[in-house]
Amino acid sequence: MTRNAEAALLVGAAAVAAFGVALVNLARGDGIDAQVALTFVVMLTSFGGFHLAVRQWSPEASPFLLPLAAIITAVGFVEVYRLDQGRASLQRWWLLIAALLAVALLFTVRQTGLAPLRRYRYVLLLAGLLLLLLPLLPTDWAFPLRGFEQNGSRLWIRLEIGPLRLQFQPGEIAKLILAAFLASYLSERQAVLAAHTRPLGRYRLPELRQLAPLVIAWAASFVVLVYQRDLGASLLLFALFIAMLYAATGRAVYLASGGVLFGAGAVIAWSSLSHVQRRVTAWLDPFADFIDTGYQIAQSLFAFGSGSLSGSGLGLGAPDRIPNATTDFIFAAVGEELGLAGSVGIIATFGLLVAVGFGISLRSRDTFRKLLAGGLAFVLGLQTFLILAGVMRLLPLTGITLPFMSYGGSSLVANFLLLALLARISHEERA
Amino acid sequence: MPALLLTLLKFIFIAFIYIFVWQVARAIGQHVGTGETGRRRKPSNQVVIVKSETQAGMDIAVRDAVVLGRSPEADIVLEDPYASEFHMRLVRQDGGILLHDLGSTNGTYVNGRRVGAPIALNKGDAIQIGKTIMEVQ
Repeated sequence: MTRNAEAALLVGAAAVAAFGVALVNLARGDGIDAQVALTFVVMLTSFGGFHLAVRQWSPEASPFLLPLAAIITAVGFVEVYRLDQGRASLQRWWLLIAALLAVALLFTVRQTGLAPLRRYRYVLLLAGLLLLLLPLLPTDWAFPLRGFEQNGSRLWIRLEIGPLRLQFQPGEIAKLILAAFLASYLSERQAVLAAHTRPLGRYRLPELRQLAPLVIAWAASFVVLVYQRDLGASLLLFALFIAMLYAATGRAVYLASGGVLFGAGAVIAWSSLSHVQRRVTAWLDPFADFIDTGYQIAQSLFAFGSGSLSGSGLGLGAPDRIPNATTDFIFAAVGEELGLAGSVGIIATFGLLVAVGFGISLRSRDTFRKLLAGGLAFVLGLQTFLILAGVMRLLPLTGITLPFMSYGGSSLVANFLLLALLARISHEERA
Repeated sequence: MPALLLTLLKFIFIAFIYIFVWQVARAIGQHVGTGETGRRRKPSNQVVIVKSETQAGMDIAVRDAVVLGRSPEADIVLEDPYASEFHMRLVRQDGGILLHDLGSTNGTYVNGRRVGAPIALNKGDAIQIGKTIMEVQ
């Protein structure tokens, strides 16, 4: 696919977003208003700007990343607009900001490439851990940067200087930074991690001290689980670590011991943490406590059910009954208004996007880039899977955002930066 | 707005999503297709490491001659403790590849047989050095 075909598809995605907004307007009985044009222009500006930056500074990058992300963003935006117009206009700003930051990233690395990420790995580790722990800052101290709690999880920080109030979920960025750290660390250590073994019967086990980083990652994600009560981030971080360790060494023993550690952690968490118990109970039987803990998942199931094969049509369902429909449960809104047909289309698009990411990883010859692309694609895929499975009651709800679709600045910014990194990696491998 | 029209527009919206994704998927398919066939059209001019602890997936293009070994001086450095410093040489000859073992300690195996005299490689042959396995493509 040429760059021009990519550009044409991006225009198409902006048109789909505008068309969706127009359909919502029609369903409400309003005339088509300025929102349609505004949506088209904002989608075109953000993805078009990103596209031009790729042309300019990473011309060999894979042309498939942006169109796939754009169509997901378009459908997500239409649902956010349908649910909450105020949030939709904020989301438009976030789209522009996210694209601007992605462009800035491509510009910054245009000459150095991604080498600095590889070199300053311990700075990255520190920055990643700091970002992760930032929400634990006190809520009521004098310093304008404060952590605070929302919906029972402590994963937000708020910057307040005079009238300016900015809220952010630093964990979203932390996961990219930690992926870069792991790629750098593992690309250097992989031979050691893969080679040193101690025979046990017909199996070869790694030396015990080689497992130390695994235990540290496990402990870190447990801290996130206990103190921030964030199931999703905790699981993502641990799984990312195991997946990258496995990708780097090809040793199934890391998968197995990761699985054992995860199982142990899950049992401990379930038996001792009330917020985990609530999630599991709501998952096993949402209708047992329909009014309270099961309400959200039950409403989500109703949404999918009433959506049936082709959905109620945009603006014609009642996805506003689901609590947090614009963020975690955005996919239930899609399921209700576009039905199985629309949901499957979106899942297929996510599947393609993740596959393109892994394709970039597989084609990379350089170990660092291979691991980074693999880690980023993995985290994108796992996050998508976890929240979709949670919304559909396949797994307990983990409370993370659906990439590119959910309302929220942190999530959009993080995922646009992820796209920029993948684009840059694919450029460096082909150039 | 009549309900029938809205239903029709809903199907058009969903159709747009599918047409869009189909376009991208087809382009990805073509991209993968040309990448693979482009490589395979020319008879065996490259060797790919298929199994190795650290180098799996690496392509070794054989233009004139390449020396593989554990030494940093080798053209292709094998990260395998069982490889000799200069283990083997692959030479382009008559449109094919000829393999010379350079007197390696642990030997070079082609399809499971230890190489003595230089041997011509065919597409699909498996070359093993220590724990590293390569395939001729």
